[in-house]
Amino acid sequence: MSRQDQLRKRAKELLANKEVVMVLGYRAGKRPGTATPVFVTRPEDVDTLIFDDRCGPNLAAYLPRVKHRGKIAIVAKGCDSRSIVSLLKEKQVDRGQLMILGVGCEGVKEDGRLSDSCTTCAHPNPVICDEMIGEKVAEREPAPDLLAEFEKLSPDQRWQALMDDVSRCIRCYACRQVCPNCYCPTCFVDANSPQWVGKTTAGSDNMMFHLMRAMHMAGRCVECGSCSRGCPMGIDLMKFNRKVAHIVRERFGAVAGLKPDEPPALAAFDPNDKQEFIR
Amino acid sequence: MKPRTVSADELAGLVAGWETSAAVYAPVKVKDWTEFRRVSSLAEADLTQVNTKLSARGLLFPQCETMFRFETSRPDKAEEADQPEAQVILGVRPCDAAGIAVLDKFFAGQGETDTFYRRRREKTTLVGLACSAPADTCFCAAVGGLPAGTRGLDLLLTDLGGRYLAEPLTDNGEAAVKDLPEAAAADLAKKKEIADKAAVAMGQRIDTARLKQLLDSADSHPVWEDLSLACVNCGACTFVCPTCHCFDITDETSKGKGARLRVWDTCQFCLYSQHASGHNPRKTAASRFRNRAMDKFKYTVDMIGEVSCVGCGRCVRECPASIDIRETVETLMTVLPEK
Repeated sequence: MSRQDQLRKRAKELLANKEVVMVLGYRAGKRPGTATPVFVTRPEDVDTLIFDDRCGPNLAAYLPRVKHRGKIAIVAKGCDSRSIVSLLKEKQVDRGQLMILGVGCEGVKEDGRLSDSCTTCAHPNPVICDEMIGEKVAEREPAPDLLAEFEKLSPDQRWQALMDDVSRCIRCYACRQVCPNCYCPTCFVDANSPQWVGKTTAGSDNMMFHLMRAMHMAGRCVECGSCSRGCPMGIDLMKFNRKVAHIVRERFGAVAGLKPDEPPALAAFDPNDKQEFIR
Repeated sequence: MKPRTVSADELAGLVAGWETSAAVYAPVKVKDWTEFRRVSSLAEADLTQVNTKLSARGLLFPQCETMFRFETSRPDKAEEADQPEAQVILGVRPCDAAGIAVLDKFFAGQGETDTFYRRRREKTTLVGLACSAPADTCFCAAVGGLPAGTRGLDLLLTDLGGRYLAEPLTDNGEAAVKDLPEAAAADLAKKKEIADKAAVAMGQRIDTARLKQLLDSADSHPVWEDLSLACVNCGACTFVCPTCHCFDITDETSKGKGARLRVWDTCQFCLYSQHASGHNPRKTAASRFRNRAMDKFKYTVDMIGEVSCVGCGRCVRECPASIDIRETVETLMTVLPEK
């Protein structure tokens, strides 16, 4: 039985037996080569479910929006599962209300090309799941550090490169909206009394938004690459997030979204913290 | 006004001529796509790709526009913003030009005229480029347009292979090409062949009249909730749309000097409909998703007598969740009950 058939069969059982109220997965998009999230609630609709290299969107981002419905089954690639771990750590979802259907992922494609973030992925299999659908995939040798070239530039050149990138930003907030970490009811950029970040698309306002967003990702971003893939203007937002993840890895020895019971790197208090100022 | 033919060299000459008295904008290659950028010669333009990243709307209605400047110590005085310069936009696809014709109705139609839009529009010449090979996201012909449509344009170019057919549509367009050789019957026949072939690739015509009728009583139908689940509530679809025209007004001040700006806004943001009282009539994602579909296919029919989707397909191409408005419409036409 193919992985897709297994997925449909299991989804049908879960819905028919009322073990879950919804299966959150992917269906084929109308445009060739695309997949769109689907929210299956009736056993007779499971045949829309697919899983292959079109399935890019990180489904964990939808959990905070549907969790009130009851127990949800969610199709999770390696990165989606890591985002679920992050949401569990931050107490945004209840483990008992989730049925994680793990799938091994060979990487997702955009216009036929392997997504940048997938080339550096060290966790193509789910790090947490209730059951695997299909076999685990072989761990891949991650591509060399995508920041290496960028980091060879001088600080001025780096600033200019980032500025060139973010100056194209149209402030649609697709990056934020597709991100499982961005579940705040009011984002700092939408706070308007007082207004923290200017609403214009001038380079400085755009840079302020992206830098502040990157800071909020520290210790939380699982590098799924949804933001870069989702950006309509083709801005490589992962440049910010990758850098932040590298720093957290170096300074805190922490990698986001691997262990549910490990405290969040930047949101935990320890009376024995090695930094004196925080004790 | 007679159709003419223009060689690539002659087109370069036209651009050079326009450039002496106006800013010339054209699609320019950026990474894997094209964007409208100011060019100083035809050589900088890339007229081979179908739809630019953003539509030409931003050249008439910039994402961020200064309305006036002021000093905080002198609240009674305001300094007018800079006057826009004359511009020629080359390589506008017929869907985008139709989008500008729709914006014309909103900003400079009946009743109030929007000064900021009007003064840019009056100084704008639109030189269109017919589509011979639509993208898989294109559906202009499904919503009443055509790949070689002329609406909104001053001049329409059709690539006949190394040279162009140039059809003037306004006095402005006529003035630009009047000295060029008249097109032969064979040129016109070739253009028709290209245009007809492109139109066939667009898929079924949407029955927008029936859709409007269905939407008239669809406010509280549960289909909106189902359709909106995949939507992440970003503003990408509305910002890339050639006909969306909502804006917010904001003041930016620094060290006693300030400017009143208008910046694009979108009904997809929760903040858009938030009242000062805190009440928000469109608090749910489903209600915002509904608003966009309703706006394109019902509200604007009520307001300006036509749908405001021109089928450019940018929302389809750029949606981070791969939501396809063609599919949304199909679902609505299937699910919504006749009155």
